[in-house]
Amino acid sequence: MFLTLQDNDKRPIYQQITDGIKDLIARGELREGMTLPSVRQVAGDLGVNLNTVAVAYRQLQDEGFVTVRHGTGAVISSRSPHPMEQAELYKPLRTALTQLVLSGLTGREIVETVREQLAQLQQKGSTR
Amino acid sequence: MSTPNAVGMDIFTICLIVPVLVYALVKQLWNLPLQNGPGYFMGVEVPAGFYDGSGKSWMAGFHAMVAALYGVCGAGLAAIVATRRWEMTPTWAGGFALVFVPAMFGFHAWTRHKLSVDPPVRPVALALTTRRYSDYISWPMEALAVALVGLSWWLLLHGGRHFDWRSALLMSWVALGVIPGKMAMVRMSWPLPAERAEEHFRLQEVSRRFWMRLSGIIFEWYMLVILLGVAVLHGLLPVHPAAVWRWLVVGSGFAVWGYGMIVMFGGMRQMKAMGGDLRPAGSWKTPFGRASCFGTGRAFLVWFAIWFGGILAFNLYPLCKAWL
Repeated sequence: MFLTLQDNDKRPIYQQITDGIKDLIARGELREGMTLPSVRQVAGDLGVNLNTVAVAYRQLQDEGFVTVRHGTGAVISSRSPHPMEQAELYKPLRTALTQLVLSGLTGREIVETVREQLAQLQQKGSTR
Repeated sequence: MSTPNAVGMDIFTICLIVPVLVYALVKQLWNLPLQNGPGYFMGVEVPAGFYDGSGKSWMAGFHAMVAALYGVCGAGLAAIVATRRWEMTPTWAGGFALVFVPAMFGFHAWTRHKLSVDPPVRPVALALTTRRYSDYISWPMEALAVALVGLSWWLLLHGGRHFDWRSALLMSWVALGVIPGKMAMVRMSWPLPAERAEEHFRLQEVSRRFWMRLSGIIFEWYMLVILLGVAVLHGLLPVHPAAVWRWLVVGSGFAVWGYGMIVMFGGMRQMKAMGGDLRPAGSWKTPFGRASCFGTGRAFLVWFAIWFGGILAFNLYPLCKAWL
């Protein structure tokens, strides 16, 4: 199972790692109980600083997606992390929609895009 | 049946090394810059038509370096044969390795410095597969290796006879030094390009296991077999043991060495087949890092410097002592 980091992505590296792992969890490719590679291994494999990966893992832990256990490393905890406030949950959606509106897409195109993306996510998840 | 004495062992060693060197030169080394196809030189991406232009002089330079290294090696061997100073065989073999390895690394570094000024940035893939030491290293076997070294030293020290402690120490250093080396190899990796990530990952896994297995056979078990054999001859058998015992030691060493050579050339063929059309490590860089062709594991470089430095010191010590 691979996580791809693009060369033209403007997000910080730790955010790309966090989002990539969340995406794999959402698609069902990373399931509860699966172990992630150690911070040292990820940092070595990508050729980035240890702290960068540690920040990504800490964020995943804070959001409840992984549990860090001494000796076993980071373990995927669940696809449904601790409940978030509805407003908190919609914040990234709002940001993404704002971006789409500002990029000139019509409401119909945005709805179509969201539907397509959701279908892709659910299709990949159900194939696992 | 005659008994292999020290001279016989040295000649035997030469007979082991020379065919390997010749085979490596013909099958692997001479066309090493072209191992990734005509689009690359020593793993560095080169423009189309490179080999019709400046590539010719680069190839000529590489061939001149290899010829010079082999020439020095051949001259050293000729001098040993002519003067019959067979006891210089370990120094000759070790000396060649000590010159050859830095020369190849140096040429590689020079090529990258000159030809790969700004490698292209490409998306990188991260394999979410955990690598544990126990997936790659058999701890009971490593414990056995440590125990055999201990047993060998016990036999040597309690044999009550003079023995060449320096050779025994060198063999122990080489053999036991491989264990932390294997651990460093587990941790070593290099970034995987997102394009054909699965194939790159498989190649990385195969090459990691290949180098660990090869170093285990050649540096760990070959040395252990010789060390233990010498220790048994020294500590358990009479001063002039039956020839069969000495031949048993020589034969065991030869069997391990031969197996190592089969593994080496077979593995290299397999890796060439798997990675011949894949983008070589170091010919591109990730969005956030330098192009790396020797892997990103600093632990491996530290281990190699200490281990190889130790072998260098062991080899240079008698020369320096003789000189002074």
